[in-house]
Amino acid sequence: MPQRSDLSQRGGEMKRVITGNQAVAYGVILSRVDVVSAYPITPQTTIVEELSELIASGRLKTKFLKVESEHSAMAALIGASTGGVRCFTATSSHGLAYMHEMLHWASGARLPIVMVNVNRAIGPPWNIWSDQSDSVSQRDTGWIQLYCENNQEVLDTIIQAYLIAETVKLPVMVVLDAFVLSHTAEPVEVPSIEEVDAFLPPFCADYAIDTQEPRAYSVITTPDYFMEFRYKIQKAMEEVPEVAKKVDDEFKARFGRGYGSIERYGKDEAEVLLMTSGTVTSTSRIVIKKLMEKGLSVAGVKMKRFRPFPSDEIYEVIQGAKKIAVIDRNLSAGVGGIFSQELRASLYLREQRPPVFGFVSGLGGRDITPELIEEAIQYTIENDRPKDEIVWLGLKR
Amino acid sequence: MPMIAVSAGDMAWNKTGAWRTQRPIYEDKTPPCSAACPAGNDIVKFIQKIEKEDFEGAWNIIKEESPFPGVCGRVCFHPCESKCNRGSFDEPIAIHALERFVADFGYGLNKKTAKLEEKNKEKVAIIGSGPAGMSCAYHLARLDYDVTVFESLPFAGGMLRLGIPSYRLPRDVLDRELSDIEALGVKIRTGVTLGEDIRLEDLKDHQAVFISTGAHKSRGLQIPGEREKGVLSGLDLLKRINLRKKVQLGDKIAVIGGGNTAMDVARSVIRMGKKATVLYRRSREEMPAFDEEILEALEEGVKIRYLVNPLRIGQKDGLKRIECLRMELGEKDESGRRRPIPIPNSNFRIDVDHVIVATGEEIEVSFLPEGLEKREGILLTRRDGSTGIKGIFAGGDLTSNQRTVAHAIGSGKKAAMAIDAFFKGKDPDVIFQNLIGEGPSLSIFNYLHPAERVRNPHVVAFEELNMDYFEPAKRQGESKISVKERIKGFKEVSSTLSEGVALEEAGRCFNCGTCNECEVCYVFCPDASILKREGLFSHQVDYDYCKGCGICFTECPRGAISLKEEEK
Amino acid sequence: MERMRKIEIPIAENLGHGHLACAGCGAAVAMRLTLKALGEKTVMVFPASCWSIVPGFWPYSSYKITAVHAGFVTAAATASGVRAALDVRGENDTLVAVWAGDGGTFDIGIQALSGAAERNEDILYICNDNEGYMNTGTQRSSATPLMAWTTTTPVTQPKENPKKDIMAIMADHHIPYAATATIAYPEDLIRKLEKAKVIRGTRFIHLFSPCPPGWKMASEQTIKISRLAVRSRIFPLYEIENGRVYTIQEESRVVPVKGYLKLQGRFSHLSEKDIEITQKNVDDAWERLLRRARC
Repeated sequence: MPQRSDLSQRGGEMKRVITGNQAVAYGVILSRVDVVSAYPITPQTTIVEELSELIASGRLKTKFLKVESEHSAMAALIGASTGGVRCFTATSSHGLAYMHEMLHWASGARLPIVMVNVNRAIGPPWNIWSDQSDSVSQRDTGWIQLYCENNQEVLDTIIQAYLIAETVKLPVMVVLDAFVLSHTAEPVEVPSIEEVDAFLPPFCADYAIDTQEPRAYSVITTPDYFMEFRYKIQKAMEEVPEVAKKVDDEFKARFGRGYGSIERYGKDEAEVLLMTSGTVTSTSRIVIKKLMEKGLSVAGVKMKRFRPFPSDEIYEVIQGAKKIAVIDRNLSAGVGGIFSQELRASLYLREQRPPVFGFVSGLGGRDITPELIEEAIQYTIENDRPKDEIVWLGLKR
Repeated sequence: MPMIAVSAGDMAWNKTGAWRTQRPIYEDKTPPCSAACPAGNDIVKFIQKIEKEDFEGAWNIIKEESPFPGVCGRVCFHPCESKCNRGSFDEPIAIHALERFVADFGYGLNKKTAKLEEKNKEKVAIIGSGPAGMSCAYHLARLDYDVTVFESLPFAGGMLRLGIPSYRLPRDVLDRELSDIEALGVKIRTGVTLGEDIRLEDLKDHQAVFISTGAHKSRGLQIPGEREKGVLSGLDLLKRINLRKKVQLGDKIAVIGGGNTAMDVARSVIRMGKKATVLYRRSREEMPAFDEEILEALEEGVKIRYLVNPLRIGQKDGLKRIECLRMELGEKDESGRRRPIPIPNSNFRIDVDHVIVATGEEIEVSFLPEGLEKREGILLTRRDGSTGIKGIFAGGDLTSNQRTVAHAIGSGKKAAMAIDAFFKGKDPDVIFQNLIGEGPSLSIFNYLHPAERVRNPHVVAFEELNMDYFEPAKRQGESKISVKERIKGFKEVSSTLSEGVALEEAGRCFNCGTCNECEVCYVFCPDASILKREGLFSHQVDYDYCKGCGICFTECPRGAISLKEEEK
Repeated sequence: MERMRKIEIPIAENLGHGHLACAGCGAAVAMRLTLKALGEKTVMVFPASCWSIVPGFWPYSSYKITAVHAGFVTAAATASGVRAALDVRGENDTLVAVWAGDGGTFDIGIQALSGAAERNEDILYICNDNEGYMNTGTQRSSATPLMAWTTTTPVTQPKENPKKDIMAIMADHHIPYAATATIAYPEDLIRKLEKAKVIRGTRFIHLFSPCPPGWKMASEQTIKISRLAVRSRIFPLYEIENGRVYTIQEESRVVPVKGYLKLQGRFSHLSEKDIEITQKNVDDAWERLLRRARC
């Protein structure tokens, strides 16, 4: 188990200026993770390096399996989690894609694994910069997905993720942007291990391996029963909003910081809403503020939780909005930005169905500048309905 | 339903036995040794007891069928060993040596046979105390019948005492096995000759009579000079030697004949310090004497001249002159041996002090009542030993041309079974439900306890065994004393196996067709469907789960499992 | 000296009856013997193979020990994770074993295996080699021998490449213990498993199991063919310790490969010349093994 020794002693202050990857490492340590298994890939590497050093120095009793691929990393965690211990891995892009089969396995086996994915483009063309396509492509694998706007949120989300995961028995993916967060230092308040211990109890698995009670795990299941197991997973997903809220409220009460599943900011009852996720939200906040000062009826919605899709929460905050603009830093070729598609689907059966404008931008790490965001909002204001399914921002012609 | 697909039970509900198209069954079959034994011993069973170091158990097994293990272990021609399947792998098991080991062990423990749990009151008279008569007496006495054996000579034993020299069968071995029979309540009246001292009519208070007078008349050569002085009968000579009567012989002796009697005579002559030359009209291969006999005789200095036929015996200068003709071998005759054909003008002479004729025995029938038919040198009986006269049975050398100790013992046993069936009003053929293999030997144990040791009469062939489980190993038979020692006198030539050697030799036995709990079946069953049990059958197939793959059948080293088609 | 002796094997039946293996399945014999040796304090990780089906359908399982089904690719990696978890929980004396087929070891699973071996993970990896993807209907794997028929190497174009030498590969990972074993030599198999059980680090057992349907052989010949494989030197029995020290269990009664090949329909298309070539390859491989054993 990680010792309390290092953190308080390291500089004495609780507030540190650390990169997103370092924040991840702290989150892992504070959550008393027992087994880490990871394979390096830019821009996740410094997470792994940080953890290695701490474990090698003996300050962390965590076992670190330096596996030979991401697929094996997730497989090893599946083994370890079945063994009833708290596990962690981190990856990005191609690594995440390589793990795909095992992502299904982790959720199918109801293992509360927490993984950090640093959003990076999947090639070719070869690209190491920020892009959400890797994580959103895994939306069908039964993982809860939580997106982070800043390094503080990264650290906090990891701690919350374990509690959520271990309550609903589903794995959680915590997502942060490549380089913009992973390698950028920000001030982060790092809680003490005692505080986290008071919040996050030790993990006690329902069906941990017990050689005194021999069982076979993940036995082949016929059509007679398979659907019922899948039903249970869906039911677990349906519990997440309530569980996540409870966890977040509790976290806020203890640590003074809460995030919700979404966050609405800007003008009340604005006509135009801008939905963003990840670090784009930080930039959007500035743009919205500026436009509000200009008198425009605009507001922003930060998407923290992507899976399960927070339909109810979103519907609540879009009351009165005439149009919604979604900026997707991802593309599902043939259909468009995924957040916009999911939003459209979630509104379809509702009474109020404001038109959703789907903007795609920032793929492969292209900066989503305040100008581009403003352009998106302007386009939305000026058009009743989007002229195209997909509106590309900043595309070079 | 649990949250995840963890197992909550086993697959025992799935009776995979329903998949079967063939089923294995444990089935003891008949080993070729037992099938070949004229005395009807359960050979594999007693060897298995030896292997388990249950020598007493082995003794009991043998004594169930034969009262003469000590005798047979020494003098039997062991057809069991000729048929032993191990012979097709390396060398046959020295079965006779093992039988002897058990007999001598039993004697060491002073074991006596117990009577069976029967109560009978009939009286049986047996004429002749040779192996056939005594074997019959033994089994009838065990069944609680009142048995009296009438023997014309002063001693019991028949050919065992008279015809077989003591260097092959020591007298004390014979005596102890005879006394074991007497201890069952058999009365032996020696010095009583049928036809002289008593007649059959005098035996009317006996409900059955078994005649086993043997064949003691010497068959002559029918050549001129045979009846002169200096020409002796081999049987008579042996009788005199074995009864410790004085025998005067010259230095050079010719023995005419090629059977065991001829060998016994020649070897006895050597032991009396004389020279012996055997004259035989065919070659070594055709000699009916046992191979070991011939070998030992040659070792002891007996000379054998093959392809020599005596024409007449004359006299010259105080010596007997035998005029002989050389022979060559032609086509096979009725005995399956190549016929000797005289080579014309090849006459030559051999001069010796005495000529001893040992060319076969004949039966004496003058004392036999009317109604008993003799043909081709034997007394005729029905298959079960009964004759044309109700209540009169016959067996042994008297009724057969297969004149060996083992055949005689088997014949006496058969008669005992037939007499028992006769007394109990059973169908005479009922005793033939107890054939060993295809017969002709019978098992009296089976007759008395039909369901206890069921054996399929199929005789196990070498191809049905699995040689993968056996490593070649040398056969270990008895050791013999040196030739120098042997010919000094009539001391026993061979010695009993030591316990260690007996265990090793018994360990070589394949146990053909007989489960010995090696558990190969249990080890290799893919479905854990061979169950271990206490009691009658040590292993059982679990038919609920056995899929009929046949691995147990193929791997069983000894062919004790059969594979049958599954009924629909 | 030849006394009547039983083959001594442990008593526990850790593979229950009622399982779905084909009649005469060599792997069923292997699994039954293996689980007897491994015992209850074992967690066995098993990837996709016949053994995903044979133990039965949910909620039933014939395994009487803890068994964790893992992704096809991942056996050694999943096992590494289980090992880490058990060590964290202080259960260092619980054995973590893997039971994978030749597909899950030689082909798709080789990455995970190589990774685990290089890290010297404390697992006992057993490869049940039936020389093909038998669960999916007999397709070729890199363990399929030269010239054998499979559904993907039909008689008109039988397997063109020789069998991968997995033992040499494992030895060159310098793992503490690697051994070959097969079902016709049950005491040897159990001895090797018991020896491997108490060694720390990666142990590898290459376990040869005939497959009646896949090899087109009669089900009652399973043990015989396993034995012939050793006697013909197609599958010699040996151990390698620390990648360097070889101990060969030499069979005294060596036979030509012809007898082994003739019993299997998957080789029935072989000409006399093919059999000669096979014999030569076997002889060469034996020589190579002896050479490697010497240096």
